[in-house]
Amino acid sequence: MIPDDATRDGLAQFIRAASGASAVRITRLARMSGGAVQQNWALDVDVSGGAFDGTHAWVLRTDAPARVAESLTRANEFRVLQAVQPASVMAPRPLWLCEDPSIAGSSFFLMTRLAGVATGHKVARDPALVPDRRHLARELAANLARIHGMQLSRRDLSFLTKRLARENIEHYRGYLDSLEEGYPALEWGLRWCERNAPAREETTFIHRDYRTGNYLVDNGTLAGVLDWEFAGFGNPLEDVGWLFAKCWRFGQHEYPVGGVAYAEDFLPEYELRSRRTVSPAQLRYWQVIAHVRWAVIALQQRERHRSGAESSLELALTGHLLSDLELEILALTADHA
Amino acid sequence: MINLPEATELLLVARKTLLDELAPLLGENAKYTVSMIANAMAIAIREVEAGEAPALGALARLDRIYGIAPRELHGEALRRTLAMHDQQLAQDIRAGHFDADDEKGCAVLEHLRASVAARLRISNPKSLP
Repeated sequence: MIPDDATRDGLAQFIRAASGASAVRITRLARMSGGAVQQNWALDVDVSGGAFDGTHAWVLRTDAPARVAESLTRANEFRVLQAVQPASVMAPRPLWLCEDPSIAGSSFFLMTRLAGVATGHKVARDPALVPDRRHLARELAANLARIHGMQLSRRDLSFLTKRLARENIEHYRGYLDSLEEGYPALEWGLRWCERNAPAREETTFIHRDYRTGNYLVDNGTLAGVLDWEFAGFGNPLEDVGWLFAKCWRFGQHEYPVGGVAYAEDFLPEYELRSRRTVSPAQLRYWQVIAHVRWAVIALQQRERHRSGAESSLELALTGHLLSDLELEILALTADHA
Repeated sequence: MINLPEATELLLVARKTLLDELAPLLGENAKYTVSMIANAMAIAIREVEAGEAPALGALARLDRIYGIAPRELHGEALRRTLAMHDQQLAQDIRAGHFDADDEKGCAVLEHLRASVAARLRISNPKSLP
């Protein structure tokens, strides 16, 4: 999206029509950091008349030129945000969806802008931002339990995929099969996951990207959960494994929970609120799945660069994360066959 | 014929100039980009310096696992043979041929560890155990 006068005019008109206002003035439209897949723009508006009369701080979320196959379209992400609103799971409130590409160059939606800082290395490393790690971990746990406790209609959200452990394994193998080279270390991890797959699994709504960098912290308190574009149905422990994965600790390896807290700060609260138990073996299992998943994403990013679809230094370097992930997969699966 | 030591020296001095002389003049976003460029150059330097050694090590380990007599391969032939080996190993692991905690299974795990370590020495030596 190019934030020129034409875009601003188009946006103001769209908001005026959607909100029933008599006039809308855009006072700020600026790219927010983060989002290699989606582009987020900070949007400040003065609305005159209608139900939204007043000054607002919103976010405009649109597709970046590079899409990841796994992620939802903006329209479907908007529907997910709508569906989760009643449960108070700290998601931004979606306002309007626009599927007319003539305004912003692609589909976009507007949502409320929540306060706080999401940037992973700041959340993990700035004690002023997170003075009480235990407190934040407990809030993350309680909120994740609420997400997993939502009774969402599978029919209304039929566009969401459902994948339990074995389906994840099949999914990742399918992707590896599409590549020219073999990836024995990832196959080793996947084979271990297959041999250790749970006999029975629960299915709930899961966020699939619940990790440091994707939630907002304001005054030491959890203030929002962002990036619902990977949401689906699956084993709730997949979200726990992802949050605990080494790749999301931002160098703070003494804190397994996203680089911010100890396992014992998080797990008892999650277990209490969700009425589920998380054994060390289950946690290990879903951490292996998490690292395999990240490795597959790193390969996808690298392929986007290598195929010439999108030449990018950042994508090329993401491919170099692969060996770190493989190292962790081999460490987690060793002696536990 | 490219003289490789000269290539790495060039990359090293280019990287140093980028970091010492250009980076201080830049704003936050550009600094991040420069750090990515410097990282990419460091990876390239390490890859050139490692040469064929990682591939030769992997080939020797795989030949042992598959009972193939040691052989001398270089360049494109080495690359292609190793790629075929990796494909085969990936298939065999998936099929469960190396599940057992026996000599073969341990040799494969050792090979995977050594290969990951060799790649980490290029991609991100800080992570080496």
